[in-house]
Amino acid sequence: MNNVVAKTLIVLQLVFSLCFMCFAGAVYTFQKGWRDKAEASARQVSDLQKTLSDQQAARADEKTKLEADKKKLQDDAGNAIAQINQLTNDLGQARAGLAAAEQERDKHLADLLVAQQEAQARITETTAARSEINTLRDQLNQGIALRRSLEDDNLDRQGKIDEAAEREEQMLREIGRLRDLCRVNRVDPNEPVVGPVPAAITRVDGVVRQSRKNASRSAELVEISIGSDDGIGPKMKLIIFRGSRYICEIEITDVYPDMAVGRVIEATRNGSIERGDNVTTKL
Amino acid sequence: MSQQSSDPTIYDALMFVSLGAVIIGIVFWVLTLNSYGWTSG
Repeated sequence: MNNVVAKTLIVLQLVFSLCFMCFAGAVYTFQKGWRDKAEASARQVSDLQKTLSDQQAARADEKTKLEADKKKLQDDAGNAIAQINQLTNDLGQARAGLAAAEQERDKHLADLLVAQQEAQARITETTAARSEINTLRDQLNQGIALRRSLEDDNLDRQGKIDEAAEREEQMLREIGRLRDLCRVNRVDPNEPVVGPVPAAITRVDGVVRQSRKNASRSAELVEISIGSDDGIGPKMKLIIFRGSRYICEIEITDVYPDMAVGRVIEATRNGSIERGDNVTTKL
Repeated sequence: MSQQSSDPTIYDALMFVSLGAVIIGIVFWVLTLNSYGWTSG
């Protein structure tokens, strides 16, 4: 009996010893890998803890920042609400102003309509007045032309009046001179004229073109360069001279428009007549 | 006095083997603890 127990205990001791040996060998064999895994896990845990601490710090910073932003946003929201309230008030005032402006606009539109009607009436009146102005302008132009014409006539007549006044003055001087002459010659100017009155002789100058004697050589005929156009008529007596020398007198026998023929009055001859001698009605 | 047999039996061999196994296990255990510097980790 003791042998059986001893043998059993020996077998169990052998089994447990072998198990211990195998377990210790296995631990020795695989502990390096386990250690590496443990160290890796430890490093990973350390990294994770570090990352966690960083994340927590970042979270704290972010939280602080978000708190600041939140406060700022709350302030902004407060300001915005105040601005909204102010804008609401402004909107109410603007709407009231808009209503007043619309009323004012309607009033101005009505005034504008009246003003347009008045303007249209003014335009019509202006058109009529313009046409009337054109008519009056034409009449004014006609009046101006008439006035100018009348002024020209007036000037002409004034000139004629001045000329007549001058002539009247000359005539009065001439009458005075003639009256003096009559008084000196003891002629009564009121004495009536008896018989034909010879025409007044005006001074007309010409030249002798040629002279020749008649067929019987009893008289000498002279052709002169002045005629009836110069006031020369039959029976007129003209004087022939050369320079300051008196030649003779001639009596006109034939008269033509631009020439005349006269006979020499032998009783007055004082020299021979030559071509180019001067002839005049009076000296 | 009874005469006891001094011849080793199979159980003596088994005891020897088990002792060797224990020694080997202790060696492994010591080596393992040595690698950890005799600390528990």
